[in-house]
Amino acid sequence: MRLDYLKQKRILLVDDEQELLNMVVSILNEDGFQNVKTAKTVSEAVAVSENFQPEFAILDVMLPDGNGFDLMERLKKAADYPVLFLTARGEDDDKFRGFGLGADDYMVKPFLPKELLFRINAILRRSYKTENPLVKLHDSEINFERAEVIKNGEHISLTAKEHDILAALYRNAGRIVTIDALCEAAWGDNPFGYENSLMAHIRRIREKIEVKPSQPVSLITVKGLGYKLIAEGK
Amino acid sequence: MKSVPKLIRHFIGIMLLSSVLLIILNFALLVIYTLNQAPNGSPWITAQEIADHLLQDSNGYVLTEDIEFELQNTNVWAIFIDNATMEVVWQTGNLPEIVPMSYTISDIASLTRGYIDGYPTFTGEAENGLVVLGYPKDSFWKHMWPSWDYHLIANLPKTVLSVFAINIALIFIIYVIANSKLIKSVKPIVGGIQALSTNEEIHIREKGLLSELAVNINKTSDILQTQSRQLRKRETARANWIAGVSHDIRTPLSIVMGYAGQLESDMQVSKDNRKKAAVIVKQSKRMRNLINDLNLASKLEYNMQPIHPERQNLISVIRQVVVDFINMNIDEKYTIEWQTDEALTSCPVCIDKDLIKRAVSNLIQNSMNHNEQGCHIFVRILAEDSHCKIIIADDGVGATDEQLEKLGHAPHYMVCDENTSEQRHGLGLLIVKQIMFAHKGEMTVKHSEYDGFEVDLSLPITM
Repeated sequence: MRLDYLKQKRILLVDDEQELLNMVVSILNEDGFQNVKTAKTVSEAVAVSENFQPEFAILDVMLPDGNGFDLMERLKKAADYPVLFLTARGEDDDKFRGFGLGADDYMVKPFLPKELLFRINAILRRSYKTENPLVKLHDSEINFERAEVIKNGEHISLTAKEHDILAALYRNAGRIVTIDALCEAAWGDNPFGYENSLMAHIRRIREKIEVKPSQPVSLITVKGLGYKLIAEGK
Repeated sequence: MKSVPKLIRHFIGIMLLSSVLLIILNFALLVIYTLNQAPNGSPWITAQEIADHLLQDSNGYVLTEDIEFELQNTNVWAIFIDNATMEVVWQTGNLPEIVPMSYTISDIASLTRGYIDGYPTFTGEAENGLVVLGYPKDSFWKHMWPSWDYHLIANLPKTVLSVFAINIALIFIIYVIANSKLIKSVKPIVGGIQALSTNEEIHIREKGLLSELAVNINKTSDILQTQSRQLRKRETARANWIAGVSHDIRTPLSIVMGYAGQLESDMQVSKDNRKKAAVIVKQSKRMRNLINDLNLASKLEYNMQPIHPERQNLISVIRQVVVDFINMNIDEKYTIEWQTDEALTSCPVCIDKDLIKRAVSNLIQNSMNHNEQGCHIFVRILAEDSHCKIIIADDGVGATDEQLEKLGHAPHYMVCDENTSEQRHGLGLLIVKQIMFAHKGEMTVKHSEYDGFEVDLSLPITM
């Protein structure tokens, strides 16, 4: 199973507060993550990661013997893996710095367990593509690597734009993605004025993935706001 | 620095006016003085009168008694010189002995122009001779050579005008030189006072006529600068204190929220206890929002929140906020409806995206917080002439007119003094107001058309 595969990932958790470490470990364990190691300082984190070889790290910014930004740089020198900052510092400048250094996400305390797990799973999904590249929908399957849809045994190829739009929807499967975010995914940073083109692409995608494109069950319109992809198992 | 030229103009005006007035005054005095001189200024006329009244009878020449009496009273003597003999043929009784009794033609010319032994003399023509009046010594001064070059007299008006003009110019130059020093010392002081009003730090040179004033202005500037530094320091300290406290609360609150969240979804825990855990989660969330709001409100209040405005499509920004709320799987009690006209796809504004998102999130969250029983929330964007309007309305319990009035006007506890008894305590609306203020926009609270509460935010469109 794909999810089980992600749950096997080795996670390094660094925070100077023991209680918080205990709590996050318990949240992670409950969600199925078993390979979690913790550290309370920069030096401990560096030492732990040498043997543990983490595949994902959750770091606090303020640590007794240094800061999380520098720690991330040291860790990433040894091996490149995704990092999520979990910090009490909510300043914009801190966020920009974190992202600028290559962090995958930035969460400000306090947080709900659900939020944390959602973000961790999203990062892991993005970073560690599944061994099985097929995404199952109600009427068809998508193979993102080969940019094709398999419907009723028939292989239908996707155009580059259709692929980008579907990928953006799949990254947020089950959630609404705004018209603007989809235009940006397909047309880049200046996505104004592409709303009509987007509608045309959505229509063609539906023809490829839905059995009855006029009554879609996988690619749902949320009027005025955006679209939602319903994928099985998500 | 408009006041200095104005001051100079004013001074010059006064100076010119006073010069003209002075000249007019002098003329008037001269006229009055000469008029007063007129009655006793006519000895020539008196001499002619006596010549006319001197009558010849059988005993010689006789003057009427009253005229002779008047001559004696004024101490004036008179003689009559006969044309034929050039001898004195009549005289008044008060004639001094030194006056000669016979005359030559050159004597006559001399006495007509001047004096006889210091007595100023005046002549009047009679039928057969000449009447000569002798006034007391030092009573008149006679001009002995009364003649001028013809051109001098002909050009007199022009000459007088030129002299007059030269005089005015001279006075003007003297005045300007005398005042330029004053103006030179006034100028930096005027500049200093103007800079004081904008709270700039100033230091004027403490020299010149008004050095004492300059010293005081420098002192005032120092005091103002110290005060504003202290105020800024205190405000920064307060904002930092709030930031520090909210930072320190975040980690313990994470632990409370985390465990409560786990218990809430733990199926092994009894339903009752799961409900209790849900309440803890909910209240923790409220605390989290409060911390975030408090921090932002204090930073906005003390201008410590950097604002990064960029050109944005307001529709995209607000659409993302609404979608985020829907994606958060909020309670089914609350529904959010996007009511923006589909034809309106772009609304360009220059905004700090994060702050505007925060403002709209606060308003949506506000509708939820104040309607425990659930409500329908409507979000709409309208493009008006020069403004984009964001309308967030609900069909919840709403507010009374009185409450709306208070929300619109009562000061908030962070921005008022201790004397204000009516204070509001929610931070949500204050932040929205502050954010709109920072974007030169407006916030209006009112009743919604769905019988609930409505907030309209208006932002200027960027072309």
